[in-house]
Amino acid sequence: MMRRKKIAPKASGPAGDRQLEMILYVAEGGPNSVQAVANLEAICAQHLKGNYHLEIIDVLQCPQRALADGVLVTPSLAKLFPSPAAKVVGNLSDTGSVLRALGIAGTAA
Amino acid sequence: MKSVPRQPDSALPSISPNPVASMPTVRVDAQDGFRKVILRLVKGEAERRAIDAGQVDAILDPASGSAILLPQAQRALLDRKVGLRNLLGLAFDAHWEQDEQHRFVSYDGTKEAGQRLAADHPIGAFLWDLPTDNMSAEDWRTHRQQLTWRTPFRDLELHRHDANGAQRQFALSGEPVFDEQGQFKGYRGVTREITGHRQVESLLAQPRSHAHVTLDVLPNPVAMLDAAGTVLLTNRAWRALASTQDGIGAGVFEGASYLAACDEMQGAQRIDALALGAGIRQVLAGARERFDYDVDLATPAGRRWLVHSVSAVASDGAERAVVSLQDITEYKCALGLLELDLTVAHALAQDAGAAVAIPALIGAVCQSQGWDCGRHFSLDASTGLLCAGPSWGVPGTAVEQFLQASHAMVVRPGAGLAGRAYASGQPLWVIDGISAPAVSASALAAETGRGGAFVFPVTADGKVTGVLAFSGKGVCAPDGRMLQAVQSIGCQLGRYLQQQAALAALRQSEQRFRQLAELGSDWTWELDRQSRLTQLTGSHPFGTGDLLGKTLSEMANLVLDEAKWEAHLAQLQAHWSFCDVEFGVRHEDGRLGRYCISGAPLFDAAGVFVGYCGTGLDITERWPAESSVSHESNGELAS
Repeated sequence: MMRRKKIAPKASGPAGDRQLEMILYVAEGGPNSVQAVANLEAICAQHLKGNYHLEIIDVLQCPQRALADGVLVTPSLAKLFPSPAAKVVGNLSDTGSVLRALGIAGTAA
Repeated sequence: MKSVPRQPDSALPSISPNPVASMPTVRVDAQDGFRKVILRLVKGEAERRAIDAGQVDAILDPASGSAILLPQAQRALLDRKVGLRNLLGLAFDAHWEQDEQHRFVSYDGTKEAGQRLAADHPIGAFLWDLPTDNMSAEDWRTHRQQLTWRTPFRDLELHRHDANGAQRQFALSGEPVFDEQGQFKGYRGVTREITGHRQVESLLAQPRSHAHVTLDVLPNPVAMLDAAGTVLLTNRAWRALASTQDGIGAGVFEGASYLAACDEMQGAQRIDALALGAGIRQVLAGARERFDYDVDLATPAGRRWLVHSVSAVASDGAERAVVSLQDITEYKCALGLLELDLTVAHALAQDAGAAVAIPALIGAVCQSQGWDCGRHFSLDASTGLLCAGPSWGVPGTAVEQFLQASHAMVVRPGAGLAGRAYASGQPLWVIDGISAPAVSASALAAETGRGGAFVFPVTADGKVTGVLAFSGKGVCAPDGRMLQAVQSIGCQLGRYLQQQAALAALRQSEQRFRQLAELGSDWTWELDRQSRLTQLTGSHPFGTGDLLGKTLSEMANLVLDEAKWEAHLAQLQAHWSFCDVEFGVRHEDGRLGRYCISGAPLFDAAGVFVGYCGTGLDITERWPAESSVSHESNGELAS
């Protein structure tokens, strides 16, 4: 079963701008997956201010979806938009790597 | 039975006995074999680094299309499932699963209470096979229809008795389970025992019940009014009174306006009703905390007094008033009889004689009891007949004629109402055809006058000396207190008449004594404790002027023999009687008069000396002879 999380854009964002789109593949209940969700939530709250779209997919429920997207391990974070696409593997505890993958380089805390 | 919309999937966590059984995992037993599988599946450098860093939970196998849960993640997931089960146990008493046919396939009670519903080994049984106290066939049909529709159900309440005979209540909630293909697989759900909740709810609901029960046991009628005067609450006594009595409050039950009933009251109680309504409005407006009002009711059974007490109360944040009624008839009657007793005693205490006291007594009784008139019959010892004496009646021609006709009435003991009361020594009454035993009302109509009659004996020292006979429309059957009161009145009058007779005899005796004393003396006198004159009557030799208060030695022109006078004073101080103490008085014309006095000491009932009384005699004319005889005697005695 897919688990989706959508966060509406803030009014402060430019009208018509597309949001940052991401997919986080997890094994729900797994310790690293739980950690990855928490780390990503913190990064989004600090750096993206709600201006993003995140989809979380439980590979235990939807393995075919992950395989179709070329994901082999979880947790994995895939950045879909804006280009270029990027992928981060692991529990996302390395904030700098995550920010660079998301194109928010130089703002790491 | 309750049903609610289907809850989100996350509302009821998975409770599978094997939490990982339904997951698409690949079981790998050996650590080495597991690592080989990983290395075969994962080629990317980033993935391998993450695996080496222990930051990966699962690996996807493109060949099988399933996810392989790594051992660490498996353990964590198992721990999480166990933790969820423990939490489930904290939240519910039992959880269960049913198959496609709704038969229990698992029933896991985490508490003793949760097992009570499953005491009959429900595995393989249908829920409706379990014994319950509250579910009808129609209820079960409704529930099974819900199951057929695959709808979740919430808080299906079942009641049953446990092994100890105590009734217990349970609430079951369940949701349908579907597989990945959407195929219905059965129901799963939880059970909560709600016996405690129901008991608490019952207790919470009891305050109102307690109030009703408490009010109902109160003997006095009680009602609570809202700010508009509408009756909110009544007790049993109020409802009984409202359904039986006439007048204020008749027919006023819960929901009716008591104030409107007061305002619309007509007839004899209108003034009372308006006053009561005004008082209630004052209490409801906060102008006064309490208002008491006595209402005097004339009922076929006699007069009744009801005191209406209105008290302000604050209930549910609103101003209200509690009206309570108390029947104070007995109190009023007792108070009236006590006042009558005092009035009678006061009338008899006046020193006005029987001719005044007896009519005053009769008048007090009549006015107290609402009777028309009364007469006193006393026994004439010379004839042995009862003779009508003093009487009293309310103004009115009929009463005056009745009293006039019986003015010189003579009754033989044992005849008529008065004669029978005298002969029996017991009160008798006739009330519009209803009478005391052995009394014919019709035969006594002429004697009793209009309405009824009440006759009771007058006694002294246990003997009947006469009767008091009362007549009037207000005569009613006496109660015990009334009989006690008339007995007291009869005794008071009897004692009074006895005292009056004794006093008259004493006066006559005193009169005779005075007459005899006057025949043997010229004057009489009385002295107080200090030997001062308090009374002096007759032809005394002390002249005119204010003599009272003086001692004999203070009298003017007194000629005394010092030795004899000293001896006399010694007698007075010793409170002895004395006889023929002589003294002389020099009159204005120069003549010397000779006199003698005799006296006796006076003592009160306690034996205390209070003075002297005595007589005086003029011995001037015989004194020379007596003196010579005395001198001769003295000479003989001296020789």
